[in-house]
Amino acid sequence: MALSFRTLLAVAATSTMALAAGVSDAYGQPSSPASIKLTETGSTLLYPLFGAWASAYHQQFSSVTIATAATGSGTGISDASDGTADLGASDAFLSSGNLVQSPELLNIPLAIAAQQVNYNLPKLPASTHVRLSGAVLAQMYEGTITSWDDPAIRALNPGVALPDLPVRPLHRAESAGDTFLFSSYLSTNDPAWNSSIGYGTTVAWPKASGALAEEANSGMVSGCQKTPGCVAYIGISYLTQALREGLGEAALRNAAGQFLLPTDASLHAAVEPFVPATPSNETISMVNGPAPSGYPIVNFEYAIVSSHQPSALKARELKAFLAWAITKGNASEFLNPVRFDPLPAPIVTLAEAQIARIR
Amino acid sequence: MSGRSGVAGTGTPSVLRLLMVALVAGSILFGVAAALTIGQHASAAGEVVSTSEPLSLAAQQMYQSLSDADITTTTAFLAGPPQLLSVRQHFDADIANAAADLATLRSAGGNSKQLAASLAAISAGLPVYAGYVQQAQTYSSFGYPLTGGSFMQVASEEMHLTLLPAARSIYSRENAALTSASAQATGLPLIVISVLLALIVGVILFRAQRWLTRRTHRRVNYGLALASGALAVVTIWMLVAFTAARSDFGTSLGHGSTPAEALAQAGIAAQQARSDQVLNLISRSGSSSFQADFTVQQHKIGPGGGTLLDSAASSAPAGAGASAVNSAGQDARTWYSASSKVFALDLASSYAAETKLVIGTGSGSSEAAFSTLESDITRGIAADQVVFRSKAASGSTSFNGLELAVIIAALLMAGGSTWGLSRRLAEYR
Repeated sequence: MALSFRTLLAVAATSTMALAAGVSDAYGQPSSPASIKLTETGSTLLYPLFGAWASAYHQQFSSVTIATAATGSGTGISDASDGTADLGASDAFLSSGNLVQSPELLNIPLAIAAQQVNYNLPKLPASTHVRLSGAVLAQMYEGTITSWDDPAIRALNPGVALPDLPVRPLHRAESAGDTFLFSSYLSTNDPAWNSSIGYGTTVAWPKASGALAEEANSGMVSGCQKTPGCVAYIGISYLTQALREGLGEAALRNAAGQFLLPTDASLHAAVEPFVPATPSNETISMVNGPAPSGYPIVNFEYAIVSSHQPSALKARELKAFLAWAITKGNASEFLNPVRFDPLPAPIVTLAEAQIARIR
Repeated sequence: MSGRSGVAGTGTPSVLRLLMVALVAGSILFGVAAALTIGQHASAAGEVVSTSEPLSLAAQQMYQSLSDADITTTTAFLAGPPQLLSVRQHFDADIANAAADLATLRSAGGNSKQLAASLAAISAGLPVYAGYVQQAQTYSSFGYPLTGGSFMQVASEEMHLTLLPAARSIYSRENAALTSASAQATGLPLIVISVLLALIVGVILFRAQRWLTRRTHRRVNYGLALASGALAVVTIWMLVAFTAARSDFGTSLGHGSTPAEALAQAGIAAQQARSDQVLNLISRSGSSSFQADFTVQQHKIGPGGGTLLDSAASSAPAGAGASAVNSAGQDARTWYSASSKVFALDLASSYAAETKLVIGTGSGSSEAAFSTLESDITRGIAADQVVFRSKAASGSTSFNGLELAVIIAALLMAGGSTWGLSRRLAEYR
């Protein structure tokens, strides 16, 4: 409820400001007195933010309605590709396969997101953040570390009273951008994982004792909450909910050896080195980057959209909404509730160039 | 002679003058038409050998170099750092070869806007592509393989969405130009007109001589006999040369260019399919689009009825060409067998085993099977090109000296007719 209330507050504030200022974007919207409906499907991580954006945008431009659905990134991409949805929301950029098969698709960053690792260790105070590394997490998911008081975990957490509780690794049951991010982090930190399992939106999960699979980020939160000893990777927009459910939040080791939580500062630091290198189509992986104070699992959340729209009206309205999302939609009142970070200015500039390609 | 009564009515000197004008005009007209015909055929034949074929080859090589560069660097990326020096040299050589072929194609120019646009796209895109590859290797070597992987994807997108389509367009255009030039070198309309003119002039000469024989009781008019001889010699020469050229160019196209083109297309499709395997491993998106495209390319390549390898086999020259195509068919089956295992592993998300099968060099790996297929396709194209060049060169020499001979013959015909008929005219003064 707190999330909803904060979101509503943010929506109301933004709407008031926008109306007071007579907001209109670079595309001169609202362009049509006739009502138009835009559809969005995809990432469950983006879903809460898209819901807030849809409400605020409709309040500001009553002729435009945006219908959102949390279907997972893979479905979002395929829906945008085949025209089932106007917008796909994805935690991962388009693969070369997607682009070679559908060269009209664009992946436009909307915000900076991250992924945290939560655990269910009931006797541990919320103020304690268990330190975990990619290599240790890989062993937990492989089933070679079976207890929370394993020497490898204790070595990372001197002074922490780790319980003698079986490790219950939780992973996504369906193809998910979150799985891509998490398995990428494990692959870069553990050569054995990289050579035997690797990374992808789905991976051949090892048969670890007590391993569980759940659908969507909400399922990961509830599944972990019901399973003492669980360890789970969850999108940052569900962190508030996870903490509310009593789950602990791990500090993850980055490439520089620092243990960090996903904060505004650590997200910003993680993305910064990649900003000048980002190519014009904004396809870039930022997992386990070089920033000493950067959180290791960060990513752009993407809107997947076709540059060839069926009508000029649809193209204009999509451009208007996307331009709004990467500017006014990146205001703190929208991003703070889901713990996302705003896009850096150069990324916004690249995104605007991509939006301009929509016809 | 149908004009006999007319001749009597207009007087013999008038008829002689009329015949002289007709034969001189006919000789000149035949000479001009035949010389133009021979000139055009010789020029088209020369263009096939010296321009169209080298440009078509350059376009095909450019496509292959670009595609090979992409496969080489993405495969090396999958293998992980440190990159072997030989692999880097292979990639650099591919880029250098593509740039050299691009320079050849640019210097040939042409007035097609589409061709110019495709050439410009490659000129602009090649350094962009190389830059992304460099960034991928830099990030990977500094310990950020995921960022490197995303740059490798961007590079491949530049290759597959910009460079290869432009290269394919250029190749199609140059190949069409080669076919057009070959057709022009052996086209029938002009030679038929020349032969018809020769026949008309020949009939006039024959009838004129018969008329003169009846009028003057002289059995031979040496001037007209000289003209007739020159016409007969040059017409037969022209027909023999044209028939020989047509036969040679027919062989060069049918057993050289056609199978080479089919094999080149098979090579392009095989590279596309190989690229599908490698990119599928890099992107790991869970999408089945790569496997679907691999299947499309597999059906194009063959072997089997209506496929590119089938087309190449049916027209390949006996010997090295046919042997290479047969081997390529067997290689393709081996590769498909390895590839079906690759995609089964992908479906099971067994990336490690999939990677070993895709980039491993051992027996039974996709890499080994693809390399053998590519090698046999290249061998087949080389054998076909030997046939093409040999026969096209032979065809182009068929017209050697003929243009000059036609001009000399036309002058002899006109001169002989004038001399022969003016001697008879002199008898009436």
